[in-house]
Amino acid sequence: MLFQFEDVTKTYGAITALDNLSLSAPEGAIGLLGPNGSGKTTMIRSLLGLIPIDHGSGQVLGLDIRTRQLEIRRQVGFAPEDECLFPNMEGVEFVAYAGELVGMSRKDGMQRAHEVLDYVGLGEARYRRCETYSTGMKQRLKLASAIVHDPKLLILDEPTNGMDPAGRDEVLELSRDLAHNKGMSLLFSSHLLPDVEAVCEHIIVLGGGKLLTQGKIAEMKQAHRLGFELRVKIDQAAFAEKLKTLGCTIRTKDDRLIVEVPEGRGQQLLWQAAADQQEQIRFLRPQRGTLEEVFLSAVEKN
Amino acid sequence: MPIFDQGYQHWNGQTSGHAWRWFTIARQGVRSALKGRLMRIALLAAWSPAIALAAMLCVWGLLERGSTVIASIRPMLEFLYPQLIADPKHFRVVVWTLSYDYFTIVEMQISMILILLVGPNLISQDLRFNALPLYLSRPMRRIDYFLGKLGVIVGFLAMIVVLPATAAWVLGLLFSLDISLIHDTFRLLVGSIAWGLAVSVSAGLLVLAMSSLTRNSRYVALIWLGLWFISWVTSTAMTDINRNRQRNRIRTDQFRAYQEENSTVAPKTPDEMRQEIRRRQNVRQQGYLHMQQLQSDVWEATKTDWRPMISYTTNLTRLEQQFLGTQPAWETVASFLPPEQQGAYLMRMSGPQYPWIWSAELLAGLSVVSIGVLQLRIRSLDRLR
Repeated sequence: MLFQFEDVTKTYGAITALDNLSLSAPEGAIGLLGPNGSGKTTMIRSLLGLIPIDHGSGQVLGLDIRTRQLEIRRQVGFAPEDECLFPNMEGVEFVAYAGELVGMSRKDGMQRAHEVLDYVGLGEARYRRCETYSTGMKQRLKLASAIVHDPKLLILDEPTNGMDPAGRDEVLELSRDLAHNKGMSLLFSSHLLPDVEAVCEHIIVLGGGKLLTQGKIAEMKQAHRLGFELRVKIDQAAFAEKLKTLGCTIRTKDDRLIVEVPEGRGQQLLWQAAADQQEQIRFLRPQRGTLEEVFLSAVEKN
Repeated sequence: MPIFDQGYQHWNGQTSGHAWRWFTIARQGVRSALKGRLMRIALLAAWSPAIALAAMLCVWGLLERGSTVIASIRPMLEFLYPQLIADPKHFRVVVWTLSYDYFTIVEMQISMILILLVGPNLISQDLRFNALPLYLSRPMRRIDYFLGKLGVIVGFLAMIVVLPATAAWVLGLLFSLDISLIHDTFRLLVGSIAWGLAVSVSAGLLVLAMSSLTRNSRYVALIWLGLWFISWVTSTAMTDINRNRQRNRIRTDQFRAYQEENSTVAPKTPDEMRQEIRRRQNVRQQGYLHMQQLQSDVWEATKTDWRPMISYTTNLTRLEQQFLGTQPAWETVASFLPPEQQGAYLMRMSGPQYPWIWSAELLAGLSVVSIGVLQLRIRSLDRLR
């Protein structure tokens, strides 16, 4: 288990940031989703042991978040959301210093800084002062400083914020590579669902400090057993009316009908209806959910 | 695509415990400050008083041994009182104490310049570039951050006060080749180290607190200059005004005595002349006693005069006098002068006389306030935004 929370509550005065939150996350790449104020940042800070929780318990990499905060931070890499820099340093110094702050020796830190800067694509800019870096370069620099000590868990908070499409793709590619090919677990917090979908296998959706839903993205997006998307050639409206009379639930999306057949029936019902209506079905496939639907559905339910 | 691309490699090295994490911050701060040319020049200049101190102690060691090596430079020591030169071993503690006194007073001013160059950037730049989340999300506590930043100031002041004072002491010992010197002057070694640390902690906390108040380090530099110069100018002005008032009182009394002495009509008979001479002698004697009393009163008044305390650096000086024990040394030197000049000499040379504990309390209070400011300004991440 990568981390788990048991009835964790954290309040700031009258505001409850985490409300009896219980969850457990497996190793791998995990997306953390939730609307603004849902408790994502508080959850990350609790994971890192940066804030004391009011109630409950939790573990990260088997370490208690109440008592082993420093050890947790030694084994976890974190790239914060905001633009933040150690001032007046060259890129290589920046990353080496980040390593030294975790406890690496100066020599190891410097050697490792060169390696990770090459990895994130900042090898050419390593001797430039980091204040002169572009937004995308600063994000990659933060990523490099978060992985310099080879953490078991990497936490990225909104890593693609403010980046151009090319830079965003590079960061997503690096995140995916670390999580899928290098054996590093990843907690990826983002508002951008395509980014999460591109990198993560699991998602955790928070809302109002509570867990709304969690699970494997592939399973949550699996084909609906009774749902189909179809398009017909002649009269789509008449065909929709016909299906309604057969007990189907209909809605339209773009040029297609989203049809949910009654329990116990399958796509045979659709073919039969088309034959009865003298209609040609030109497109038919089982309905698949999107991450957006999963997210919106979880938020709406709560 | 490079031919040899290793990609990401895992790392299995050892990491140290977090107890020395502050040292990493301090070391980085010193390294970063030393990149500035002005800083390096200031540091080199800061060592010149140390060279003078070491030279003086070495020369005195040779003088004690009656070495012929220094025969050629003896004329250069004529600025010293002949009594000191006549028996160098007897006045060893006096000379060493006053040498350390001059050294520390000069180094204190240089320390203020070094702090002006280093201190303002320490926290204000971290606030400006939002570096605190980067620090606090690593295995370290807020206290490690504070200690690391304070360590930068302590490091620089150790370089220009503690290390030179210790090196000079060792050199002086080696040149005198007298083991009793350890007993005689050990207090100076401990005192100068303790004073160096006290200045580092007090000034360090103060400049860190100032640095945490703004994201613009220029403002911090201005505040520091203000504390240093304006407090000194105010203190000096108030002290001088007070002393002038006292001196005017003495002069007025002297003038009255003169008027009284010359107020009678000229004597005509021998008896009247004798009486007049006795009367004038009596008036002069009383005037002299009165002046001595007034001088003594002024000297006593300096022992409770709080005005010098307005200056930050005077408080550090008062602490230095106490740690090194300079007052007895100055009194010894003053004893070489005629009695009527001793009071004025001591007032001129021996610095502020108010109780040293006042300065200690004031500096401790400033440190507590500084810690409070740091606590308020450098908050943990335990907040909503």
